[in-house]
Amino acid sequence: MSHDPWVWIGAFLTIGIFSFLYKENPFYRFCEHLFVGVANGYAIAVTWHLVLTPRLIMPLQGGNYLVLIPMIIGILYFFRFIPRLSWLVRIPIAVALGFSSGVSIPAIIQADVIKQMQGTVVYPHLFANWQQGFWAILIFIGVIATIFFFFFSKEHKGILKPVSYIGIIFIMVGFGASFGYTVMARLSLLIGRLQFLFGIWLGLIK
Amino acid sequence: MKFWEYLLKIDRRVVFLVVGLSVLIPLIFPFYIKTNVMPTTQKLFDTIEEIDPGAQGILIAADYDPQTMPELQPMFIVLLRHSFARRIPVLVMSSYMQGIGLAKQGLDQVAEEFNSRAKTNADSIIYGRDYVFLGFPPLWLAAVLRMGSDISQAFPADYYKNRTASLEMMKRIKNYNDIGIVVSIAGSGIPQSWVTYANTRFGVKVGSGATAVMAPDFYPFLQTGQMSGMIAGLKGASEYEYLVNTKYNLPGPTPATKGMGSQSIAHLTILLLVVIGNIGYFASRRRR
Repeated sequence: MSHDPWVWIGAFLTIGIFSFLYKENPFYRFCEHLFVGVANGYAIAVTWHLVLTPRLIMPLQGGNYLVLIPMIIGILYFFRFIPRLSWLVRIPIAVALGFSSGVSIPAIIQADVIKQMQGTVVYPHLFANWQQGFWAILIFIGVIATIFFFFFSKEHKGILKPVSYIGIIFIMVGFGASFGYTVMARLSLLIGRLQFLFGIWLGLIK
Repeated sequence: MKFWEYLLKIDRRVVFLVVGLSVLIPLIFPFYIKTNVMPTTQKLFDTIEEIDPGAQGILIAADYDPQTMPELQPMFIVLLRHSFARRIPVLVMSSYMQGIGLAKQGLDQVAEEFNSRAKTNADSIIYGRDYVFLGFPPLWLAAVLRMGSDISQAFPADYYKNRTASLEMMKRIKNYNDIGIVVSIAGSGIPQSWVTYANTRFGVKVGSGATAVMAPDFYPFLQTGQMSGMIAGLKGASEYEYLVNTKYNLPGPTPATKGMGSQSIAHLTILLLVVIGNIGYFASRRRR
């Protein structure tokens, strides 16, 4: 059994959160509120030590006064609390939105649309290996059928009906794979906590 | 009450208890399960094997927080062990504030593990020479783009407030041209963003260590070659531990591998519960 007080605190907080599985209780609520408070306090400390100090205070001490420009733009966020001047908050929001949109739109079109479409195209060289060729055709059919399923401008009759039905099958297989992976993920989290409780805390796991 | 009706009315707490025991018992009485390495894990391993340590480094982004730590921390540890075993210069950053503490914990643990076996200064893992902890970038997107031209400008100071440009390792690792692969370990869609901004724009290889929940989202990027391998969930981490330990014969902890017995038994238990639940549902519907 561990003699480290931090391990004991961690163990009691873990048990507190797990107690919710039985039913809602004050011990659980205490742990939950403690987590929120600690996370916020931690975020403030990190912002001071890893953001403001190296990126604002240290450059200013070194004579780099250019950092005053983003500092002033950032401070404008706080004008939301002054009703008469709250319109100033639009400036930092506009800067952030403009930068993000300008950078993201072309990058996302390139990475998520064009490259993904290229990945769906069936090239002759893929058939050099029959397995690769088979999977390429399957992906092609799956993508087309799934897109047809989400095509709502026309009623799913005639040729659209079997194609959209194939789309449903592909979607269901996708959901099944996601569910299987989700079960694995949740169990992994439980394994981690039980390794901590029964290994590091109680010393029952070698 | 009929048997099938009873099955459908089992208290959920009984189900929790059964699943909990199916996880706990194999942890206390472990058994060995043969590891079959998935192609995605093998691909990431091979990509890191191809890095020339004299020319390029690896950037590991600990893009996770304590909520996903049990699944992702073993990946971070094993990637560090692989990189240090190959003497690849390692850069570490985190886009999550809470990930910084976990990354530091992992770095300290693995550096100490290697240094406890080192006989000379050359064998040791030394901060600034063999690895650098860049810390947390306040605006992730700006930092990722800036690193394409100069990493020291994206991170003027490291986690310990040293001037990044003054560190020995950073004199030869300037930007993505000097990075063999970026591996983003995350429980969110951040690896996809690394593909969008770092891979597409600068051509640097991107791999991922993903929670099992997120792994299906990244398969399209593996299929197109935009991602160079992936460790998927705790199972992927155990596969990577197997690959690294087999090739480099490293003593040390293998937390993911130890969890595989529990993972298998708990999966079988859940499968059984799903089948029983469905049989109960259809049987009771037929009676009605």
